[in-house]
Amino acid sequence: MVQPMLLVHWKQARLLLIPFIVAGFGLPLLAVQGFGGVGDDRAVSMEAYRFLTSYQVWLPYFPMLAGAVGGVLALTSWNWDHQLGHVYALSLPVARWEYAMLKMGAGAALVLVPVAALWVGAHVASASVALPEGIRAYPNQLAFRFFAATMISYALFFAMAAGTIRTTVWIVSTVMALVIGGNLLVVVLEPYVPALDDVNVVQTVLGWLLRAGGPFAVFTGNWALIDV
Amino acid sequence: MNNAIELTDVCWSADKGFELRDLTLRVPTGSIYGFLGPNGSGKTTTIRIFMGMIEADRGDVRVLDRPVPADMTSILARVGYVPERPHIYPALTVGEQIRYHSSFFRLWDRGWAEELRKRLDLDPGQKIARLSKGETGKLLLLLALAQRPALLVLDEPTEGLDPVVRRDVLAAALDYVSDTGATVFISSHLMHELERICDWVGVMDHGQVVAELPMQLFKNGIKRLRVADAPDAPKGIPFTVLSRLHENGAGSGETWIVRGWEPSMRHYFDSVGATLRDVIDLDLEESFVELLRSSRPPTSGSR
Repeated sequence: MVQPMLLVHWKQARLLLIPFIVAGFGLPLLAVQGFGGVGDDRAVSMEAYRFLTSYQVWLPYFPMLAGAVGGVLALTSWNWDHQLGHVYALSLPVARWEYAMLKMGAGAALVLVPVAALWVGAHVASASVALPEGIRAYPNQLAFRFFAATMISYALFFAMAAGTIRTTVWIVSTVMALVIGGNLLVVVLEPYVPALDDVNVVQTVLGWLLRAGGPFAVFTGNWALIDV
Repeated sequence: MNNAIELTDVCWSADKGFELRDLTLRVPTGSIYGFLGPNGSGKTTTIRIFMGMIEADRGDVRVLDRPVPADMTSILARVGYVPERPHIYPALTVGEQIRYHSSFFRLWDRGWAEELRKRLDLDPGQKIARLSKGETGKLLLLLALAQRPALLVLDEPTEGLDPVVRRDVLAAALDYVSDTGATVFISSHLMHELERICDWVGVMDHGQVVAELPMQLFKNGIKRLRVADAPDAPKGIPFTVLSRLHENGAGSGETWIVRGWEPSMRHYFDSVGATLRDVIDLDLEESFVELLRSSRPPTSGSR
């Protein structure tokens, strides 16, 4: 059952996935564009500094790409079933949880395709530049972080997409309302309540989600391919 | 096991006000059961309930002697289903869809699936999105049959198909049934089709089963009688009067639509001083219409 399920998911997702595969391969290469060789000690340290600051510009694109890949794979995994009212899935002799797990597994396997593209791209990028002394490349770590972030995004969107559109809209609008409402409240109350930032619930929750140890910390961690 | 499908006092209601009320249905094992009813009468909802797709609010549902929805996985392994609307993935090819479907069924007969594919003239490389309505119908039937089901559930399987394809589809289903003795539950608007192939019939209207009986009884038991001088409130009638209509023109002639009629019942009219002028056979479609008319509130012109 796994192989046919994988084929079905691949057929649904492949056209959308191809740009992400290209991006996964190309992003590390773009990030190291323009880095040349090094000269004396002073030049080495300057080059290393320029190297790292230049690379910083590209950092946000890695987690964004991971989030997008996970989202696309999750949404495409349920797309046909939603369109067909789940009638086909429900007529198959397989428990609902098992069917959902098969779908999830197929999508998780497909996550490996853009991850592999990024891994290859990161290795090619690392090999294509002469790194200044004190600077090292971490293509495997970058690929693993990309994999972890993509899986988290995939799992989150998969769970949301598995429900009805009504449920998804309800969840998204509730989260949006909380974020917007919370921020508006802060703006309105700030003149009257001193140190309001300390009790800002939205900021506190976001901080908890994104800080080290939080469920989405992988998105905000160190995405450096090149580092000291 | 006497019944392949058993629904007892099933109730179900939707948000929009439609409901099934105390639905009881018995589909004898080995029968070809025709399920009739106007649009919106609840046929597809009934099918979805015993297929485990929606859960009844109340009542008992059993398919192939197993409870629904508790044993749904093992039930569905023995049920071939052709839904009202195509439900398969449009981007797959015919061959890919067959392989995908077969991976879920342990009893899948690969050789027979291939034989059916050739017989139904389906190209394995053809994309499902590009299949005609007839080809899609054939593919759905192939998928349902090649899993060797004990129960075949066909929800409007020939709707919109041309007569040639319709004949191919029904012939394939009937060949399977004659070889295996499987039960067929077929919901259709095409009365003449059902009249030809079914041995049991169930009629549904407004969320209720209004009749369920052998086809022969259904066809022969409902008659149109032309009666003269009938009393206003006759007593001791040995058959069921579904409706009484005054005939146009002069005289005291009436048309009675009756159920459970037998020739020996002619004497009844003599006993009440009436005259039976004629007994007219109804075909399935006329019987169906009269049955529905009688189960609904009376309209002007009827008593």
